[in-house]
Order: sequence, then structure tokens, then C-alpha cells
Amino acid sequence: MRKPSTLAMILAGGRVDELGVLTHYRPKSAVPFGGFARVIDFPLSNLLHSRIERIAILSQYRSYSLINHIGTGSAWDMIGRYRGISILPPFKDYENPHWYRGSADAVYQNLDFVRYHDPAEILVLSGDHIYQMDYRRMIQYHKTQQADLTAAFIHVPMSEASRFGIAEIEEGSDEGGRLLSYEEKPANPKGRWASLTVLCFKPRVLYEMLAANQEQDSGSYEFGRDIIPMMMERGCRVFGYKFRGYWGYTRTIDEYWQTSMDLLGPAPRIDMEAWGLRTNLEHRAIRDCQPLIVGKRGVLDNSMAYNGVVVEGEAHNSILFPGVRVEPGAEVRDSVLFFNTVVRRGARLDRVVCDVNSSFGAGSRVGRAESAISVIGWNNQVPANIRIGAGCTVYPRIDSDHWPAVGLADGEVLQ
Amino acid sequence: MREELDALVLLLAGGIGSRLNILVGHRAKPAVPFGGVYRIIDFALSNVMNSDLTRVGVLTQYKPLSLMRHIGTGEAWDFTGRTRGVKILPPRTGEKDSDWYRGTADAIRQNIDFIESNPAEQVVILSGDHIYHMDFDAMIQYHRHKNADVTIGMMVVPKSEIHQFGAGIVNRENRIIDWEEKPRIPRTNLASMGIYVFDTDYLLSTLARDKKEIDFGMHIIPHAIEEDRVFAYPFYGYWRDVGTVQSYWQTNMDILQPGSGITPEQWGIRPNPDAEGLPMDRAPARFLAGCQVSGSMISAGSVIEGTVINSVLSPGVRVARGAVVRDSVIFEDCCIEEDATVDLCILDKRVRVGSGATVGSGDNLEEVNHDFPNHLYTGITLVGKKAQLPAGMRVGRNCIIGSGYAGRDVLTLDDGESLL
Repeated sequence: MRKPSTLAMILAGGRVDELGVLTHYRPKSAVPFGGFARVIDFPLSNLLHSRIERIAILSQYRSYSLINHIGTGSAWDMIGRYRGISILPPFKDYENPHWYRGSADAVYQNLDFVRYHDPAEILVLSGDHIYQMDYRRMIQYHKTQQADLTAAFIHVPMSEASRFGIAEIEEGSDEGGRLLSYEEKPANPKGRWASLTVLCFKPRVLYEMLAANQEQDSGSYEFGRDIIPMMMERGCRVFGYKFRGYWGYTRTIDEYWQTSMDLLGPAPRIDMEAWGLRTNLEHRAIRDCQPLIVGKRGVLDNSMAYNGVVVEGEAHNSILFPGVRVEPGAEVRDSVLFFNTVVRRGARLDRVVCDVNSSFGAGSRVGRAESAISVIGWNNQVPANIRIGAGCTVYPRIDSDHWPAVGLADGEVLQ
Repeated sequence: MREELDALVLLLAGGIGSRLNILVGHRAKPAVPFGGVYRIIDFALSNVMNSDLTRVGVLTQYKPLSLMRHIGTGEAWDFTGRTRGVKILPPRTGEKDSDWYRGTADAIRQNIDFIESNPAEQVVILSGDHIYHMDFDAMIQYHRHKNADVTIGMMVVPKSEIHQFGAGIVNRENRIIDWEEKPRIPRTNLASMGIYVFDTDYLLSTLARDKKEIDFGMHIIPHAIEEDRVFAYPFYGYWRDVGTVQSYWQTNMDILQPGSGITPEQWGIRPNPDAEGLPMDRAPARFLAGCQVSGSMISAGSVIEGTVINSVLSPGVRVARGAVVRDSVIFEDCCIEEDATVDLCILDKRVRVGSGATVGSGDNLEEVNHDFPNHLYTGITLVGKKAQLPAGMRVGRNCIIGSGYAGRDVLTLDDGESLL
């Protein structure tokens, strides 16, 4: 039994406005992804395969779905004498009356937890990204460089760069180098190395910086916006580690949809099994599903579907989560249907992302090919024969008498 | 937790099930995969769970490793907790007795200490070999209501099949008044399902009576109906003894037929995917452009590029471009390479069918297997675990290819032939 030297802290508190109705009732990290899993399964599986098994999850926004998903941690083997996942919710105490006021504040408020584990390195991760990475190589690099902070970066197109934390990394090594500059979401980015929010800290320096950030009392407590620039300013040893794998970002509905579509085809960008992805099969009891059933006239074409699905109609270029039913004569194209979505007879879906427990009435038409994605929030009964255009948004739990008889024109929002 | 101690369950899972041929070559019959993601014993264990019974002993004997691994802690069936549990009960040597289990009653007799240390008013004795859905709690209520010493789960079967079963003749109150074990000439069509509810005290005294009585159907029950209150509990649902290759195959095919009466997920049957011990989870099955799938069950982790018709696929099966799988049951991680055909077959785990090979070829379903004419006689061809069939090989009907077969020379196997 080896006592772990790295403590990982996953930032899973965020809501991410751009995902709209998908994050009304759950944090981004708990959003379903990949036909059976959740976004946070990717960092958790990365940690598992990196043999980092002492983990804290900082969670604030509607945590229940996440707490439920993590369970005991046994799905990722993170249960044992020195293995475990602790969910750290915000709290009040004698000194502190706040919610988590930012990612850095969240870690600061839990420093007693961190100190108790006395780690050699602290790995701070975002729970929101789809990627495969062996953190051990980065930690090794961090140690070799005797860095105070090592952050992972990936090359993104210049047109995208202003959405991320952008660094200039010292030339000369394929692996990485000293950070020359760092700017959070710069209007005029100086480079194309974007931060993955995978940060490896020397604990003593992290404690200092978090305390200094609190003392500044600026109202901003973020790793990207505050801590990294502060460390640069103070001359800390900050390194950039170059990551060259696939990084799926899912910050907007379009990105979520595109990253999902990257799972399809003969050579998917993400081969979840080969990556060694694990999820919690207890969550929604998907472990108890029977194999998927394809009816006599069912069609599955360039699609993926988990156990518990029943396809009697057609699914093309789509991802079907457990419990999805596609009834005879129904057609689903270029869509992602979360758990227990039912598509009734003759309904037709094009470019739809549909949250859990919703149904599409017989003969309904939702979305359009080659157009913007339409999103349906959870627990909706889309009426029979309704027409819903492209780029529409339907909020969760719309009352049955609240659906407009004329349907929804392109881009309309129903709430 | 309930205040009253519920009945103790003893699950007989030691049978060889030799008529399943190479499917039981390295595992006990209850551990044989079934219906894509299940194993046969999942039906009995899930029925126990869904009947709110929480204490189970599983009596094993024949090749128990696969079964033990599958049961694990019993968590899959909610058998973990302070007062809950599933215990594996292998044969053991003691101070006086040292013997293998010689029969169903003998196996229970050798575990009297387990029964005594788990006090309960009733003991439910089940077989781990059957595919069905049944509420044992209702049967226990019936047993109590009848004030019975023993209650036997029984169902109507065609008279032509009664010779495989214990047959009971009942009076109007469903009391069993006569018993025939595997009768050649049937007098009734009411067959025992091998499901017994015993009053614990009665069971213990009966077992103590005569140690030569080693089988319930042959000895204990015929003896009991003479003197004691033995009742039939009628069962009307779907129930199959999947003890032969034909019935095993047919029962798998039944799941594909809407209305056949077998619906594992609705029944609340639970598999145990954790027991496979994989480092990753099986991802959703992938269906590539150009594939054709109809009337089939496909499990997670499968990748389908070819054609699958009327078949049951376990997790991780690959069907390559141009390959065809028809009327077959395919176990985990088999690979059907390009342009190969698998027709009316059962493939055990990790079989590789080389490109262009045909397994189950020709129309002659009547040529029974020469080595095992009683096992394979309906056209089904069996391929054992990890067998590698070379590209272009032609295998006929009613053939057997043994586990681990890796020969490269035989390219034609005629109907009824075996490669063991």
C-alpha cells in the first residue's frame, strides 16, 4: 500500500451559461456525454489511469446530480485506505460566511482539508472537459523543472484563442517551457496555447498565493484570472506543459453537439473504451439494463447506443443513451438523446439535443438538417404533430397547455 | 430492515449440466452467459432479491470459480449489509463426513449448520439453472396459508416433456397425493420446477431421518407425500430449464420475439457487469454506416459494420464489414471478420471467425453430431471459448469446435463432425 503523494482537486462547481437548459438543474460536469457517461467521467478516468486516487471535488451548483453520480467512488476504484473521492460543498463557519466566490476561493476555503492530506503536489483540474491525459507525465515534468506551477496547454486556432487563458511558452522543447506571458481571455491573443485548466502546484506556493489573493480582497478569486497572473508577476517558476491529444470542449450547445459527433464514424476522435473510460453504472441503474433491442424494421446507421435502448424506427448519425425508445416509423438524425427519451411513431428529429425523460409526440417535427441545434430541456412532453424549427430552446417541464399550437419558429425559446 | 426474519434461501448451483456440452467445459451451468449480459443464475438471484429475501447460500461444486467471481459480494442483487448476505457453500470435509455433494438433498444435509446458524421459519430451496420470473414471497405466503410442511413450485408442461421432470398428482386443494420422478408414461402434466419451500423444523427432521435419502425428487418428496402435508404451488408464467443446447438457444431466441413472455429487464433481472473485472466500462455499441441489424439484441461495447439478424450478442462483439450473423448467440468479445458468416451457432467467449469463413453452412440440419447425438441434433453448431477459425473455413451443421482450437489445417468440417 502506497500512500498517494498527489492530491487532485476537481473544479466542478460551474454552471456554464452557454449550455442553457442542459445546466438548469445540474452542473456542467454532470451533463450526460458519450451515450452513457457524464462529462466528469473523463477527468476522473484520467486520474484513475494516472493512479491518482485521492480526490476532492469542489461542487456548489445544484450538486445533487453530481453527488449521486460520484456515489462511493468505487466506480473509479477510489475507495480504500488511501483512496477516496471527497465532495467538498461550500460551508459557513466562524470565519467564513461565503459561497465559493471563485475557483481559487473554493480551494482556499478547503485548505484545512488540503493540509491534512499533506500532498507533495496539488493537481487542480476542471471537471468540464473531454480529453485523455496521463497526468503523471506532467507531474514528472513539474518535478524535473522544480516548478511552482505547471499548467497544461493545447494549441487552438487563432480565431478561438480569445475564449481561453492564453500563454506564450518559451521555445526550445517539445514538452514545454517557462511561461513568458499569460492572459485570461485576451481580446488580442499573443499566441495559440490555450490553458486546459490542468494545474499542478507546489503546495507551499499555492497556499501563499491563495492567501495573497484573499488579502487583495479584489472580489475576484479565479485561478486563470488571478492566481496565474499573480504568480507570473511575483516571479514564481511557472511552466507550460504542451498537451497534443484531443481536447473536446463543450462550452456551448454547438460545441457539445460537435464533440458528441466526434464519437461517431469508423475512426472516432474519442474511442471511449480504448481510453479506458469509466462511469458510475449505478447512476440511473444503467448497469441493470438489458442489451439494446433492434426491432425487425429498426435501423441504426452511423450511430451509437447503450444497453436499455429500443430502436424500432430509424436512427442516423445519432447517440442514444440508456432507456431511449425510437418507435416504429420515427426517425432520428444527427441528434443526441439523453436517458429515457421517447420518440413516438412518425416523429422526426433533426439536429436535436434532448435532455432526460422527455418525449416527442407522434408525428412531431423538431429541428432541421444543416441548421442550428435545437435543445429540449428535461421532463417535457413535446405534443404530437407540433413543428419546432432549428435553433430552438425549450425550457424544462413546460406545462402541456403552454405549448403554442403553431409550434416554434427557428430560434424561438419556449419557457 | 424487517423485524421478522425472512426465509433463508439455498440455491443449488452445483450441477454439471453436461448436456450443454462445451458451454459447461470450464464453468458451472448457472454461470453460463445468457441473453447478452446475463448469466443463468442471475434469474434465480434476482427473483430472490425481488421477493425481498436477503439471506442466501449458494451451494457450488462443479467448476465454481466463474460462478463465485460472478456472484462476488452479492452487491449486484443487494445482498450486502448488516443482516443480508450471499454465502458460497462448497463441499467440505468435516470431523465425520467428508464427501462431495451426492444429490440435492445430500447437499442441503451437509449444510445443516448453515441453516441452523441462520434462523428462519422457512427455507426456500431453488435451482440456479432456470430462466423465469417468480415471486417467492407469494409462494411462502401460500405455504403458510396451507399450513404445509413442504410446498413445491409446479407448472403444466406438455405431456411429451414430463419424462424430464418430477410429476405430481394433486387433489382439489392442490395437495400432492402422488408423485412420479421422471415417469416414462405420464399420468399428469404437472411438473416440478425444483423450487421448494420447507418449514425449517420439518426440513431438519426430514434430513435427519435417513442419510441414504440424497435427492429431493427421488427420495424426500415421495416419502413426504405419504405422511406429511405437501402442496403444489401452481406457476403460470414463462419458465425454461435451459439444460440442453436446443432449449438454451430457443430461450435466447424467445427474448427477441415480442410477446414470447420473457422480458428480463421488466422482470427486474440484474446482471453483474462489475464481475467481468474490466479496467474500463463497455462503451455504447457502435453501428457504422452500412451495417444492417434487425430483430436482435446487441450489448454495449459491440461494433457492428456487417449484418446481424435475429441474434443475441454479448458485450464487445465485432461484426466486420460484409460479415453476417444470423439466428445465433454470440458471447463476449467474439470477432467475426470480414465477409464471414455465422448461422445458427452458439459462439463462446472470444471466438475469432476468420475472414470469409462460414460457420453453420448448408441445409442439412438432420445430420446429428456424431460424438454427441443427444446434444446436437437440431442444426446448431457450437464453437468453444477462444477458438480461432482460419479464414475461409467451412463448418457444417451440428458441429462442435472445442475451446481454444487454433488449428490451421482443417478447412472443411462436415455436418455432425467435431474438432475437439
